[in-house]
Amino acid sequence: MAISKRVAFISNADSPDGHAVARQFANDGWALVLNTANRGFDPAERLSGIEQETPVLLTNSSLSTTAQVTDVRDRIRDQFERLDAVVHNHNRVERVSIESCSVELAQEVLDENVKSAFLCTQILGKFVAESGGGAVVFVGSIHDQKPTGSAFLFSVSKGAIQMLSKEAALELGRMGVRVNVVEMGPVAGDDERFRSDISDVYLDYRYRVPAAELGTYEDLAKTIRFIVSDDAKYLNGADIRLDGGFTLHYLDHKMKR
Amino acid sequence: MGLTGKVVLITGAGTGIGRGIAIAFAERGAKIGINYHLTDEFANETLRLVQAAGSEGFLVHADVSDATQVKMMVSQVVDHFGRLDVLVNNAATQPNLGLLDYDEEAYDQVMRVNLMGYFHCIQAVIPAMKAQGAGRIINISSVHGKRPTDFDSVYAMTKGGIKMLTRESAIELAKYGITVNTIEPGAVYVGSKTGKPRPIVPPDKVTDEGHRRNLRKFPLGRVGLPADIGHLACFLASEEAEFITGAAVRADGGSMLL
Repeated sequence: MAISKRVAFISNADSPDGHAVARQFANDGWALVLNTANRGFDPAERLSGIEQETPVLLTNSSLSTTAQVTDVRDRIRDQFERLDAVVHNHNRVERVSIESCSVELAQEVLDENVKSAFLCTQILGKFVAESGGGAVVFVGSIHDQKPTGSAFLFSVSKGAIQMLSKEAALELGRMGVRVNVVEMGPVAGDDERFRSDISDVYLDYRYRVPAAELGTYEDLAKTIRFIVSDDAKYLNGADIRLDGGFTLHYLDHKMKR
Repeated sequence: MGLTGKVVLITGAGTGIGRGIAIAFAERGAKIGINYHLTDEFANETLRLVQAAGSEGFLVHADVSDATQVKMMVSQVVDHFGRLDVLVNNAATQPNLGLLDYDEEAYDQVMRVNLMGYFHCIQAVIPAMKAQGAGRIINISSVHGKRPTDFDSVYAMTKGGIKMLTRESAIELAKYGITVNTIEPGAVYVGSKTGKPRPIVPPDKVTDEGHRRNLRKFPLGRVGLPADIGHLACFLASEEAEFITGAAVRADGGSMLL
């Protein structure tokens, strides 16, 4: 029996950003498909009661093959008979230099970050179209423009996904599906996540945000909430930079301390 | 431009843009490692054209999607010419499939050649360039690293990835004196499967309405030629361009503006 609630899929729900997005969707009355990529999903730890508030389907898939994503789509179809929004938020970061990176690691990270995005867009995006239209949102990064100096596979992934978004905005856009990227800026801990001997971009990173306040995953969730809403019906193929102005900063002596 | 005697390795140099780049470097006295993969017939023609331009060429077969073959290719060029100054990453595949038409095999193939291939080649040339204390890497990308194709989604994804691979490489390899830049060609006459360029019709001689409408997308009144990309590659490899790194230079006749 078809569910009356709108249904959102989150590709990496077992992550801080995925959890914040799930919480926002639940608050707004959406049903949820929460996927965990690699690790076992611990509902008690992560869901924080979401499953008491709204129907939840848990899936455990790496989303790295057509068969895997098709299986997830079939499970969503069986359970909810519809899908209205896809949030792809695979964000694997490996700090490794281009000079020393193994071919195997490069392939593994690109498959995890990029191929999963492609297959979700292709298979789940089409299902959104068949459900009457909706939105695909990629949790991208400022590092689809700004190099990290430490984790090139992450930025290469985000660069590729940025173009996937634009391609899908055209092709799925004609089928009633809007596709956009949120270029997420720094949150607490990113200085360590992207620690670099080459780039100082995360040095005093909080103060590189003009307001001297880092963003949070709740900011991300609220932005996604807007993107998937009808208020954003003309938003398609956009790169929405969510960084508080971080990437505009370059004169250190002008930092607000 | 001071390219005489420089050694340049160009991947996918058998036809099209790769051949145009090979000829442009040869005309400036550089020695050319001509990489090819599928057929040696076109690569031999590139070699002939390099020699006709008064320079020296060396054919190297390798599938750039295979890291082992790439390492061997670079070793062969260094062994043959004694050094390696410039890498031009150009080999790419473009099956022209829409987002919903791609199967997994086609996706993997395009990613392996267009993105992993560039990574393999960059990695493979680092030791030689590092030892020399200098090097130039030029990644041929496309305007479709910024504007979607609407006919080949994975091709555009690889070009988006190359944009960031270029920027990351530029900051990582700067300490070795290696610059890394991207060229973003727009539409280029790359010839048919015969490897022969199609004739260019001057804008004022175009009579076909469809062709005329297409040309209106190019403020300069024509599509690009492989030589246009070749000249730009030579500049980026020259001493005059030593302060340019991490850049993406568009060569599209202004088409992205319309």
